[in-house]
Amino acid sequence: MTAVRCVDLCKTYRQGDEDIKALDHLSIEIDSGDFVCLMSPSGGGKTTLLNAIGGLDLPDSGEVWVGDQRVDRMSKGELADLRLANIGFVFQAYNLIPVLTAQENVEFVMQVQGVPSAERRSKSLAILEEVGLEGLESRRPAEMSGGQQQRVAVARAIVSRPELVLADEPTANLDSRTSAELMELFVALNEHHNTTFVIATHDQSVMKYTRRLVRMRDGRIVEDIAQHAA
Amino acid sequence: MRMLSVLSRLAWRYLWRNHRRTIVMLGAISIGAWAMIFMTALTRGMVDQMILDGISALPGHVQVHHPDYLDDPSINNLLPLDDEELERRFAGAGFVAWSSRVKVPAVITSERESRGVTLLGIDPAAERGLTFIDEENIDGRFLEGPDDKGIVIGAKLARTLETEVGKRVVLMSQDPDNDIADRGFRIIGLFHASMPDHEDGYVFVGKRVAQNMLRIGGATTEVVFLGDDYRNVEPTYEQVLAAVDGSVSVKRWNEVATYLGSMLEVMDGFVVIWVIVIFLALSFGLVNTLVMAVFERVREIGLMMALGMKPSAILGQIILESMLLLIVGLAIGDLLAWASIQPIKDGLDISIVAEGMEMMGASSILYPKLLLQDVVLANVVVLILGFLASLSPAWRASRYEPVEAITKV
Amino acid sequence: MNIVLRLAWRNLWRHSRRTWLTIGAMVFSNTLLVFMISLQFGMYALMVDNTLKVFTGHMQVQAPGYNDDQKMRQVVPDVAGLAASLRESLGSDEIAARGWAFGLASSAERSYGIGIYGVEPDFEPRVSSIPGLVTEGRFFTDTNDPAIVVGAVLARNLRATIGDEITLLGTGVDGSFAAAVVTIVGIFDSSVVDLDRSIALMPLGAFQDVFFMNGAGHQVVLFADSLSAVGTLRREVEGLLPDGDDLVVHDWDALQPGLKQAIQADISSAFFMYAILVILVAFSVLNTQLMSVLERTREFGIVMALGLRAGRLGRLVMLETALMGFIGLILGAIGGALVTSWFTANGLSFPGMQEMAAQFNLPARVYPSVSFLSALLGPLVVFLFTLLAAAYPALRLHKVRIVDAMRTN
Repeated sequence: MTAVRCVDLCKTYRQGDEDIKALDHLSIEIDSGDFVCLMSPSGGGKTTLLNAIGGLDLPDSGEVWVGDQRVDRMSKGELADLRLANIGFVFQAYNLIPVLTAQENVEFVMQVQGVPSAERRSKSLAILEEVGLEGLESRRPAEMSGGQQQRVAVARAIVSRPELVLADEPTANLDSRTSAELMELFVALNEHHNTTFVIATHDQSVMKYTRRLVRMRDGRIVEDIAQHAA
Repeated sequence: MRMLSVLSRLAWRYLWRNHRRTIVMLGAISIGAWAMIFMTALTRGMVDQMILDGISALPGHVQVHHPDYLDDPSINNLLPLDDEELERRFAGAGFVAWSSRVKVPAVITSERESRGVTLLGIDPAAERGLTFIDEENIDGRFLEGPDDKGIVIGAKLARTLETEVGKRVVLMSQDPDNDIADRGFRIIGLFHASMPDHEDGYVFVGKRVAQNMLRIGGATTEVVFLGDDYRNVEPTYEQVLAAVDGSVSVKRWNEVATYLGSMLEVMDGFVVIWVIVIFLALSFGLVNTLVMAVFERVREIGLMMALGMKPSAILGQIILESMLLLIVGLAIGDLLAWASIQPIKDGLDISIVAEGMEMMGASSILYPKLLLQDVVLANVVVLILGFLASLSPAWRASRYEPVEAITKV
Repeated sequence: MNIVLRLAWRNLWRHSRRTWLTIGAMVFSNTLLVFMISLQFGMYALMVDNTLKVFTGHMQVQAPGYNDDQKMRQVVPDVAGLAASLRESLGSDEIAARGWAFGLASSAERSYGIGIYGVEPDFEPRVSSIPGLVTEGRFFTDTNDPAIVVGAVLARNLRATIGDEITLLGTGVDGSFAAAVVTIVGIFDSSVVDLDRSIALMPLGAFQDVFFMNGAGHQVVLFADSLSAVGTLRREVEGLLPDGDDLVVHDWDALQPGLKQAIQADISSAFFMYAILVILVAFSVLNTQLMSVLERTREFGIVMALGLRAGRLGRLVMLETALMGFIGLILGAIGGALVTSWFTANGLSFPGMQEMAAQFNLPARVYPSVSFLSALLGPLVVFLFTLLAAAYPALRLHKVRIVDAMRTN
């Protein structure tokens, strides 16, 4: 089954007097349950692709499908619903809502979805335990380390069991040990829940955890190799 | 509903994230709300007192006269209905109070001085509750019935006339044939009034004594009626109107005392304008606060959108934040207003400007009047206008593109 | 431009929306203040002028106690002689003698108690607006004419007109019975119903005859060149009073205490409202400058690390505030002047104003005019409070610890 399918995507930004082709007739399919790593130097188009898949940004042309839904034709409201129900996000930093505690951050999506509070509570506690944050439930983001914050973000991304998790430079602000822990967490979740992961990064150390490596440059895929995670 | 609880929690937490700004803004809103209500209560109290004083001097909520009497208040414009007829029509009709009276200009003369006064021939029992006379506060005694042969004058007039209780004065007026009608009276009491004008302008005698002196039989010049509330005189007015024909004029108090009537309208207008002016002065700070609040968390707004929050929810969140700020500020302001009115609710003595207040037709003790309708008006107007003022920053916040918002550093 | 000034100016426009909103609050309040203060100044001047011009004058020479009791026997002996000598010594014609008595005026059909002024035919027009308001007939020519000028409402109520005879009954200065027949020669219409209903004028000579005054009167009325010259003139007059007689000089606020107090009462309630407006603006500025300081903590930390003292940064914040306040001051003063000028040209009226205006001798439509003082008074106070409000954020800078500041995000 195909989790994500992109067909002939183009996206051009203007920066100063220059046109930058962030996506240049790019097509890709990602299978359900896969663990994909998008790598490119900065400006290579990986974030643009990720945003297009998540419906955060519209391509100039081409098609984006998530499951059997055509993302690039959706209204803002439909996109919001799609992200709410089907996609989990992890960003590089400033990932959490600063006025909410760790647990509230995890519950946030479920709350917006309308999950009853008892269920929210048990799910969020379970997931926080799973990502190794027991005891920190009532801390606010400012009271946690960067690694802990990212774990909360991951917990939030997966708590409502989305089919697809998109992570944009999740390790950028972490030291190598914490990065490794985070990636191991991703792998474990991927194996446990069969969640599809798409991770955009330029951190070489991430590479070894993924099953498929897609290298991009100037908006195009220059290399696409399946590999076995270590 | 569920969304509302999510949003209000977020809004509330965000409010206290930058607590200094919120406290400054709350301070401004509370002071504004306090000023709205406190000032309104004071002015209301003043106008209310003015109107009550005015109505007690007229007196009554509805008056019946000969059609020409108000323009020319003389003995020649007697009511075409005599006392028996009036009794038949109005007794037991359920008015709070009603009374027929003889009210004509007269001259009062003591051994030393003369002054122009308004002579009132009354039945003291019927006047109870109608006039400004406080029977508890009389040197000597008040009239005991329509046949009482004494006269009650104001304490200030007595000083001017250099006379006192027990001494004689002469009242002089005219009968319907323009012959001098005069009579000697013994002063039986001196009254005190909150308005000095009343104290030297009116003298009270028994109604039948006045009718005899003026040679008018059972006739009177006016009938006055008191209803339940000066703000709602229509029932009384309709009832009186139905009982008489076109040979007399029936007027509401605000038609007789146009100055007082217009005061009431001006007052109502003032409350609205004052509330709006304060709100406008506040609104700049409010919008500013919201703009800042949105500005400093653009990224977080983007994040929430990326997580699946709809633009309408973002809009709602900012508006809720504004509403919460206003509600808390208003609550504090309302409380402050209530607390600052409590110690002066038994009257604020402003006799330092007593004569100025008299010129405005007000007495020198100010009783603040906290009307629920004014408090509601102030709060509702602020909330509605506050809602409108929040729309623009909230709308802007909801229009951010999530990707741009997130990447904004 | 000075580098610090340029820095302050640029900082101001880093958040142009916020700066404009803050300036907006100032402009709003300033415009309102300029307009209201201009209107008030104008109204007070009119009130004082119109009221004093009727009978009061700027000051009066009277017998002691007369101002309180107005008794017939509290006289100024040889009142015309005193007025003449004052006119000569002071070189002013705006000085006139008067007598005042109360009497019953009867026409063929009606009788009313009225106040009668005995006035000098040649000089009364200089100290009162009433002779100029004679709309029918004429004013007096001879001081001994048995003539009378009555108010328009009084004439109507008496059913009398020019040429009709009026019988006056009253009490003479010695308490004896006074009576006379006089002819109506003129009717005045001041459009103040109370005056038109109850006042009449007679020539002073004839007045003194009727009431057995023996050359005496009750007041000498004087006008100074302007209100501000009243004090000086009063001292001069006091020096000129004949030694033998026991006389006093009262200036207008003693004669009309209500007038000054009405103005004071109005000023104090207006002051309250202005204060609230100013405070709300101050809060707005406090909020903005506090935000502006807090969000620059890191920046300030860096320049402080480079060796700049907190005091200088504080001055920078104050300078920014002053610039902002100055824009608000200029725009507000201009805005207020424009709004006021519009009403100067078109006049201002609101529902109910006519009735209220009549109470204070004001026209139903007022034309406020803006002066240098009224245009700058309010805005300057706002400016001052703006600076005061910025003091807290500016002083906070002294508490900044460089290391913490630089770590702030």
